[in-house]
Parts: sequence; structure tokens; C-alpha cells
Amino acid sequence: MAVKIEKTFRVDQPTDKVWAFLSDPRKVGACVPGAEITEQVDERTYKGAIKVKVGPSVTDYKGEVQIVRLDQALHEIEILGKGQDVRGKGSASMKMTGKVHALDSGSEVTSISELNVVGILAQMGSRVISEVSNVMFEQFLNNFRKQLQSPDAAIGETSTATAKPISAVGVAFSALKATFTRHSSSEEAKADLAKSDSAPPVPDKPKDDSGGK
Amino acid sequence: MQKTSAEISGMGHSMKRKEDSRFIQGKGNYVDDVNLPGMVYGHMVRSPYAHARLKSINTDAAKKVPGVLAIITGEDLAKANLAWMPTLSNDKQMVLATGKVLFQAQEVAFVVAEDRYAAADAAELVEVEYEELPVLVDPHKAMDADAPLLREDRTEKNNHIFHWEVGDKAATDKAFKEAAVVSKVNALSPRCHPAPLETCGCVADFNKATEKLTVWLTSQAPHVHRTVFALVGGIPEQNIRIISPDIGGGFGNKVPVYPGYVCAVVASLTLGLPVKWIETRSENLQSTGFARDYHMTAEIAADKEGKVKALRVKTLADHGAFNAAAQPTKFPAGLFSICTGSYEFPQSFCEVDGVYTNKAPGGIAYRCSFRVTEAAYLIERAMDVLADDLKMDPVELRKKNFVPAAKFPYKSPLGWTYDSGDYHAAMKLALDTIGYDALLKEQAEKRKKGELMGIGISSFTEIVGAGPAHTFDILGIKMFDSAEIRIHPTGKAICRMGTKSQGQGHETTYAQIVAQELGIPAKDVQVEEGDTDTAPYGLGTYASRSTPTSGAATAMAARKIKEKARKIAAFLLEVSEQDLEWEPGKFFVKGAPSKAKTIQEIAFAAYTNIPPGLEAGLEAVDYYDPPNLTFPFGTYIAVVDIDKGTGEIKVRRFVAVDDCGNIINPMIVEGQIHGGLTEGFAIAFMQEIGYDESGNVQGGTFMDYLIPTAVETPHWETGKTTTPSPHHPFGAKGIGESPNVGSPAAFVNAVVDALSHLGVKHIDMPITPWKVWNILKEKGITG
Repeated sequence: MAVKIEKTFRVDQPTDKVWAFLSDPRKVGACVPGAEITEQVDERTYKGAIKVKVGPSVTDYKGEVQIVRLDQALHEIEILGKGQDVRGKGSASMKMTGKVHALDSGSEVTSISELNVVGILAQMGSRVISEVSNVMFEQFLNNFRKQLQSPDAAIGETSTATAKPISAVGVAFSALKATFTRHSSSEEAKADLAKSDSAPPVPDKPKDDSGGK
Repeated sequence: MQKTSAEISGMGHSMKRKEDSRFIQGKGNYVDDVNLPGMVYGHMVRSPYAHARLKSINTDAAKKVPGVLAIITGEDLAKANLAWMPTLSNDKQMVLATGKVLFQAQEVAFVVAEDRYAAADAAELVEVEYEELPVLVDPHKAMDADAPLLREDRTEKNNHIFHWEVGDKAATDKAFKEAAVVSKVNALSPRCHPAPLETCGCVADFNKATEKLTVWLTSQAPHVHRTVFALVGGIPEQNIRIISPDIGGGFGNKVPVYPGYVCAVVASLTLGLPVKWIETRSENLQSTGFARDYHMTAEIAADKEGKVKALRVKTLADHGAFNAAAQPTKFPAGLFSICTGSYEFPQSFCEVDGVYTNKAPGGIAYRCSFRVTEAAYLIERAMDVLADDLKMDPVELRKKNFVPAAKFPYKSPLGWTYDSGDYHAAMKLALDTIGYDALLKEQAEKRKKGELMGIGISSFTEIVGAGPAHTFDILGIKMFDSAEIRIHPTGKAICRMGTKSQGQGHETTYAQIVAQELGIPAKDVQVEEGDTDTAPYGLGTYASRSTPTSGAATAMAARKIKEKARKIAAFLLEVSEQDLEWEPGKFFVKGAPSKAKTIQEIAFAAYTNIPPGLEAGLEAVDYYDPPNLTFPFGTYIAVVDIDKGTGEIKVRRFVAVDDCGNIINPMIVEGQIHGGLTEGFAIAFMQEIGYDESGNVQGGTFMDYLIPTAVETPHWETGKTTTPSPHHPFGAKGIGESPNVGSPAAFVNAVVDALSHLGVKHIDMPITPWKVWNILKEKGITG
């Protein structure tokens, strides 16, 4: 089950600050709901875990994150993550490319993720996987912005210490709702999760779709 | 055939179904309704991977769940030599995985607990370590040199299961060389699933004191399953009792033996407790017998006037990880060689190659007599492509090539002898009913306005009722079937058959056959099936075989009883047997109709006033070996309108003219046709068990595998012609499968016809609005 997710969002912070954050997997990992970085293996390799619960299915991936490419000049990073569920329910891998651009005020981050899920979760189909990814992304973005603004702030849905799985019922329901009702509700779901933030998320497609507030 | 009174309700009466009173009151008794004292529950741990090495299984955490009694793994079964079991197609299949897994949702471990919840919770905690292996999803790549080897257990180190061919290759190739016109179509009959209302399951109860194993089983073929359990498990066959209670639909899905059954039996033997195992919906869709997955190419050689000269068919059959197809031993591709259909092909050659892939095992016949749906779909599609190539009306092309009624029995170039048929008559009735000429005019006008409307024809021929013992067997057991009739002293009867109804209405139709033959009112005839301790041996219900085999056996057993009844009547009336005449329900003396004895009086005498020299009682058994198969046929016409903006297809009209020979119960036949057409509609437009490139099932829930409801289902118009089978005791042929076999081609032909002026020659099923919308977009019809 290969899913490609392209996202573009803006943050009210200078490019250097955003880049410094984005190029540190420990910091980024802390913003991913349900995820934690448990160990740094070498300069570019980390061990980590992520729990994803969709409906009745809990998947507890453990694996490695590796920085494949880090271009300080272009502010571009490529990360490869691979994990297997600890109880053998499947595996997932993700190749993510992130790039920070300077804007007149603030920065714009573009990310392209190629997610490959094998196992029970993948049976949910690309529609659900995409929607779950969207919901997770909104939570991530929320955390990301908070952390950028005040690095010591507590992170909402996750913490590096306990790494709770992302909200089971919430994610499943909003993902399913979004899948069934497509646009409007999908945006509602995003709005629910992103409402605490000042700048609206800017999904890549459609470009003009800036979500509710 | 003399029609009986409504009181007797023999053949031809639309008697209400006797079984329905319990079904509509919710009083059916299905496997999951069986609850025994001390019963425990099984739950399956399944593989998330399509292809992976099994490195370890850790059950420590699972065993700690309160209520867990046992966890069985493949290694445990291997110790008892039960890790593998034979399939119905001379292959073997893993019961629980050892070494590696070969498809997603494959059975890996079986957890037994005191209740279902504990079993399911513990199954979640079984930790299995896998090492992923390269996955083979595309059957077209199965025979590539670099394809991963799936079945390491086989001596042949490749993914090829079988090559099968029939027909005269040289003569067919020669006909193609000399042909003026050659048409070709590549048509996929996609992987689909019968998805019966009731999923599969069982309750296995081994009584340690009596050493008797009783298994309530969702089985279409209980006797065959008993024999398989005896052979595989080494349990003496008299100590095994299989009971198929009410079955909530089978459609071929309940013919194979599944790992869950074996695990439940092993658990019951081990624990000495009754063990229930019932699949979830997703388990049913993902792991049990799928249907179709035939990747077919048909070529027709014809002259310029459209007279066909030869048919050449090449097919790749995807059987998944194990060849668990349920079909007669000598027919690895089932009865696919019926692919010349209703047409008089002088030559034909057909070849099929079966391959393994990392998908669920099977290849069962979904409401079809072993690959007949694939064959009918292919030839009906190919005829339309030829008509399009020749710019001929598809109706004219069909009529020109039909086997004429005068040529029956007709011997096809692929070796079948069609019993009877009148294809022109069925076609004419269908055309008249739908108003074909007016529709053609309407279509021409709509095209001018840019509107999309299509008419699709399918004039299929089926082959059902397997089958004659000289050709047909399953695991060596000949495909006869049986009936036993016992008349009670008060003139009521009980009958038992080797078949098993899953909703077909056998309790009514078999009773009507007895009523027809003996004049005992059908309401007084009790029909029982599915208990191997009481019913005579039989091969079960699938392939539209119940009426051709057990139905025939019922008539033959009734006729044996009638002969004895005649002797008793002659004794009672003090005349010779030759002086007696029969009318439904009684024998009377020729020329003196008032001197008569009813069948009820005769039955009473059989127990109370037995003629000297005659045995007491009135009963008979018949094992019927049909001399040939039967060949139902029909013409279906679909009319569709396509929304240019959305690609949505609306089936505006659908006329189904069927000919299944003499009819036992017209209402039940009508019901069968409605059900089969609805399934055919779903197959054409909605259903596919797809896999992604990693072997993840993409049709494993009802969210992705769609079931038509009353909202989507079109209105069906039915009609009939009657061409009795000349060799069947009462001229019947079988109807259950015709609508599923014949309809997909009518739907697809209609959609392709609606788009043919845009250069569209073929669209593979399922034809979703998304597929059509993309075509419209590509053709510049929609924005």
C-alpha cells in the first residue's frame, strides 16, 4: 500500500530557526503523534517507535530513522524510516523529503512523503491511510508550530517520555467520516485538530483549499 | 407431464417455500446458533504479510490472558502430521503456517479460550516474528525467471500449477490462417468472492467416551467433508458425523475444507470440549475460497459474412498460494471448455495455465458450474468484439452462428454433447420483450444528441449437473447423487438426500417431485439434508447439480415405490397389476374409476395388510448417475444509460429469458434468477478482491467489497422458454447459476456498446463510474 502525501505549510518563524528544527530528527520526532526517538545510533541514524491505532487495530512500529541527505545550503533533508510492528502485524516505511523556503515574512515548508504500509493497517485501503495521515499531519503541524514558538512547551498529543498512541477513537472516526463524506467533513476534522493554531494549514492540493477555522 | 392438483402441488406449482416460515421468523438454526454445554471458542491469528519467512512465534503473553486454554501453532500440528491438508484439487494447503506464509490473512496460530472475547484478545497478543520476502502479485510474472519461488515444498521449483488443453490445435491454427477476419479480445474475469450472508464456521465436538466426533459445519458437501476428515485425521468414518444445519448461502464458498475447521477439530480432540469457530466477515473475504481471477484471451476466426470458423482461447489462471479450487479431478480448469458457447464453431482449441501467487487460495465456482461464468463471459464478449469489427448487429451475428435447434444433441468441438436447446426461440422472446428495434432507433437518436446509451446481449449456454461417473469425480468419488424416500403408514413421507440446500428451497422442490411422482401432497413430504448419519451418501450441492442428480434420484426412488404400491393396490383391489391405471394420488381399475386405492391407503396396507410374498414397508433409495450433463441456456438483454459528467451507469432495463427445461417450482426459479442477476450485476459493476503491489488485500471488508442493496439493484424482467432435457427423468436442467453465468457479459456488452462509437472495444470488470469517467475524459467527452 503505497501512499504519496504532499504537504505545504507556512510558519511565522525565520527560515534558519525552522531549518534548525526540521533537520533534527529528535525534535521532529517529538512532534509526530504517538512517536518517540529512543536512541541515537550514530550521527545520522536513530532508533524510534510509533504507535498508530485505527479503529480496532493498534500497530506498534519499532525501527530506524536515517538521514539520507542533509543539504544545509538548500535547506533540504531526506529521511528514510523503517519499522516493524512488535507483534508482527505488519511493517511500514517512509521516505520523506522536506524543504524550507524563505517567505517575505516567515517560512514555507514543503514535504513529500512516500509511505509504504504492509499488513493489517494497509487493508484499510489508501483512502483511510491518506485520511489517517492527514489527521496525523494536522496534529504534527500543531505540535511543530508550538514547539517552534516556545521550545519548552508541553506537546499536546504526544510526549517523548510516554509516546501514547494517537487518539484511537478520534482519529478513526474523523478519518472514516472524512472518507465517507469527503470534502466538507474532512475539512471539519482538520479544523477541529488545527483550531488552536494561528496560521491555517495549506494542503498541497487543492492549493486554494485552506481549511476551516 | 400431468399437472397435479393444487392440494398435491407437484411440479409446476408455485408452492410457497416450506422452509421460509422458520426463516422469516428468525427460527433458522445456523452453525453459530449451535451452543453446547462447556463449549469453548477458537480465534485465528493471521499473517499480515503476503510472503514472509516465519522466524518465531511467542505465545507467552497470549497464554496469560484469563480464560485461554490452548494455542495451537503450525509446529504443534506438524508433530501430529497435520500441518498440511489435501485440497480438493490434488494440491496441499497449510492448515497453520510452518516455515513461511504465502498470503495475507493466512492462518498462523489458533487460540482457544473460554469465550470469544478472550480468544480474540489473546490472538492480538501472539507475537510473530516475520522476515519479509519478495511478493508475487501479478500472475503474468509468475513464470518469469526472476519470480520469487512461492512453494518451496514442491518438487517442481517454479510457480506453475498445471497446463491443460483441449481441442484440435492444428486444425484451429489452420482455420485462423485461412480466415478472412480475426477478432481478438483480452478479457479479465477479476477475482471476486461469493460473500455469503453467513460466513464459514463450525462447532467440533469430540466425545471422549464414545470416541465420536460430531461437527456442525457450514458445508455444501457434508459427506465429502466427512470422508476428508476420515482420511486426513485418521478417525474411523463411522465415528464422524457432519451436520450441516441451515446454511446462509454458499455459492461455492462452502465447498472446500478450511484450516479453521481442522483447527477446531484438533482443539476438540485435544481438550475433549466442544470448540466453536466462526469467521468474521473480513476473514471470510480475505482467506476463504475466492472465485474467477481468469486472465483470458479469445480469438475468433470468421468469414466476411460473420460465419464463425474457429475459436482459440488462451488463459492464465491465478489460483493464489495453494491450488484449493473445488472442481472435478479431471478438470483443472473446470468446465471452461464450454467456451464455444451457443455457437457452431467447426474448430476450437483452448488452453489454460494455472499459476501460484501470494494471494488467498481457491478458485472456487461462485454460483457457477466450475469456470462456466468465465467461459460464458469470454465468448459473449468475443462475439460482440467480432460484431463490432464486422460492423454487424450483434444480434444478427449471434443468430447466424447459433447451433440450430434441429442439430441437438450437438457435439461441440471441445468434446461436450449438448443435450437440447432452442437458442433462436430464447433470443426472439428476449428481443420481443425488450423491443429491440425501437431501442436501436432510440440509441441512434441519442447518439446524435451526444447522449450515451448502450444495449448488451448475452446468449449463453451453461453446462451443469456434474456429473456422469465415467468422467466426473472429486477425490476419486464419483459424482452421482442420492435420495431415500420412506412412506409412513399414514401416507406421509420423509426424504433424505446427499445434497444440501443453502437457500435454494430443496425442502419444497424435492417434496414437489415426490408429490408429482406419488401424488402425496408436497406439504406431507418432509425433506431432510445435511446429516451424514442419516442421509444417503452424496457429493453435495453446487454446480446446479441438485435437480439434475438428487432431483433425478428422487424421481427414480419414487418410481420404485410406485411399482411396489401398484403390487399392493392390485392385492387390495383383487385385480392384476396390468388392470390398474394411475392418476396422481391413486391407482384405479381400468374402466371402473370408483374402484381405487389412494397412495395413503396403500401406504397403510404396506404396514398392516401386506400382500403375501412382499416385504413390509414402503421405501426406496436411489443413487443416480446422470448419463450426461444438462445444458441450460438463455438470452439476456441489458439497456444502460451513462452519465457523461460522472461516468455513472444506470441499468434502465434488463430482460432475462431462461430455459432450464421443465420447471419444478416457477416461483423458486424466478427467485433464483433475481438473486443470480443481482450477483452478476455486482460482479460487473462493483466487486473485486484486489491486491496492492505488496500483496495487501484491498477488498477485505464490505467498505471496499461492495454488496448491492435494493437501492442499486435494477428491476429485473424475466421470461422463459421450455426445452426439456431429453435424458433427465423429468426433463429438468438446473437454474440456480444461469443468471450469474449469463448476466456479466450482458452488462459489460451494454456499457461497451454505449461507448463503441468512441472507439472503445472492451472494458474490464468491475466497470465502476471512475473507470468510465476516465474513459470519457480520455475521449474528450467530459471535462
